[in-house]
Amino acid sequence: MSADDDRAIKLREAGEREAARLWRAWRTVHEMVQDRGYELTEEEVKISLDQFKANFTGPDGTIDRRLMRFSARPSDAMMIKYANVPTANNPAAASADIGTIWIEFLPDSSVGIKQMRNFAQYLASNNFHTGILVTNVNITPAALKIIPAVASETRIECFVEQDLLVNITHHELVPKHVLLSKEEKTKLLERYRLKDTQLPRIQLGDPVARYLGLRRGQVVKIIRKSETAGRYASYRLCV
Amino acid sequence: MASSTPLKSILKKPPSSYPATSSSSTSKADRDREVALYHANLLQQRKDVEFTIVLNMETLIDFPHAGPPHDASNPSLSDARSFKELLRPFRPSDYDALIVERNINELCGYALCPNPRTKETGGGLYRLLGMNGKAKDFKVVKKEELEKWCSEACAKRALYVRVQLSESPAWEREGAQTVNIDLLDEPKSEEDQAVEKMRNMHLNNTGDAERRQDSASLALERGETGAGRSGLMDIRIQENQTQDPAQPPSLDTEELSGRLDTMHLTMEGHTPSFGSRRQRRHEDEYGSPGGEDIDVDVDRDWRV
Repeated sequence: MSADDDRAIKLREAGEREAARLWRAWRTVHEMVQDRGYELTEEEVKISLDQFKANFTGPDGTIDRRLMRFSARPSDAMMIKYANVPTANNPAAASADIGTIWIEFLPDSSVGIKQMRNFAQYLASNNFHTGILVTNVNITPAALKIIPAVASETRIECFVEQDLLVNITHHELVPKHVLLSKEEKTKLLERYRLKDTQLPRIQLGDPVARYLGLRRGQVVKIIRKSETAGRYASYRLCV
Repeated sequence: MASSTPLKSILKKPPSSYPATSSSSTSKADRDREVALYHANLLQQRKDVEFTIVLNMETLIDFPHAGPPHDASNPSLSDARSFKELLRPFRPSDYDALIVERNINELCGYALCPNPRTKETGGGLYRLLGMNGKAKDFKVVKKEELEKWCSEACAKRALYVRVQLSESPAWEREGAQTVNIDLLDEPKSEEDQAVEKMRNMHLNNTGDAERRQDSASLALERGETGAGRSGLMDIRIQENQTQDPAQPPSLDTEELSGRLDTMHLTMEGHTPSFGSRRQRRHEDEYGSPGGEDIDVDVDRDWRV
């Protein structure tokens, strides 16, 4: 076998590995979006590797990240979950703070302020409520400071491909996290006669909190298996 | 005499529902709110400053605005001025972030340089520098460090600016302590440019240079100070004013005689002093008024 053949085989293997990695990240992102309550069909989520390769292989034979982008609309259940409860003070509650989500994979080998600005502008011009940017490399700290600046227009969340290779919520040691709606939250606080600051807390940067896209002030119900009680529920406030 | 407000005794405490807090008219909740607001404002101020830094950085990524005649060694006046202005709240770490951001956009890290950054060819993480110089010039440098700039000169210019930035964060700086930044290559005013052109011209036609130097030295010999000469220093020679009338030099016999007895000890004009000091100590310990007299006599003999 000649050296050229050898190199060609190695290149193809590297390409295969890369394709498999991207496929896993793609699936995890879909599962994440579905778990948050956006509308996605089963075949979109459970795409096979062959189908994935057929869809996203570019002209040069490798997976083209620029093709890997999609949007999803929130389901009715999600709209209800995020709905604002009309209160005595505020009888005409604002509409749910949720909208279509846009997911994009970035091929750039480094992500700075420019790329982040472009993404934010794209989201704002197309009226996407939320955007998820999946990158190959870490984003520069300066670029991350753009996110709070444009928070009034769109929400931007950033993930690294490497973090999405495995869906962490499928691990047996990760208990089930369920987001409570505002109504459920007020009921919970009434029942236990608590102020929300008296709940245990979960950080905004917690991997599961990031997976679910939690916002400050939301409460998640965490359902654990317990040897003595069968199931044990605890509640955590996102800070 | 009759005022609208009732007169109050300054000794009596004003009536309040909660006497413990009577020293200030505000309730505890109000005071708490004030404290919270104070700290929240501080935080907000800090956030604002941080955001300005990001915005400034964004502007500086697209620098310089001036066209081809200006480059890193001769930035345009407006660019240099706004560069300094934008850099004011920066810390060295922010400046590093700016360099990274510019490099992401394939530009030289120095914000006043329009050139793209260099791309080292070939693999390897490190590069050897200064191979044919002295040993102290030899360096092993990371490849990515070299790829930050378009040239060595730009690296120098950028780092020259970096060391002038203040380490303290902008929101903690006092108002008076503003950072003044100098560039390694300040933008030249028109006169400077003209002077530089003249200098270059001199260098170009070397045949003239010799003649010009000759005439210049001749002028110096004659004591002519050309009006066109723009020397670095303005030298004016001035004679000292003398108070006393000048005295002719005289042979100071007194001093010579003092030196003569130690003349044999001098080494190249210097007289080591320890011998005489020992002598002095000897005199202090054993010396008597009589002995001293003898010494004086001896001296007198010598002088006569």
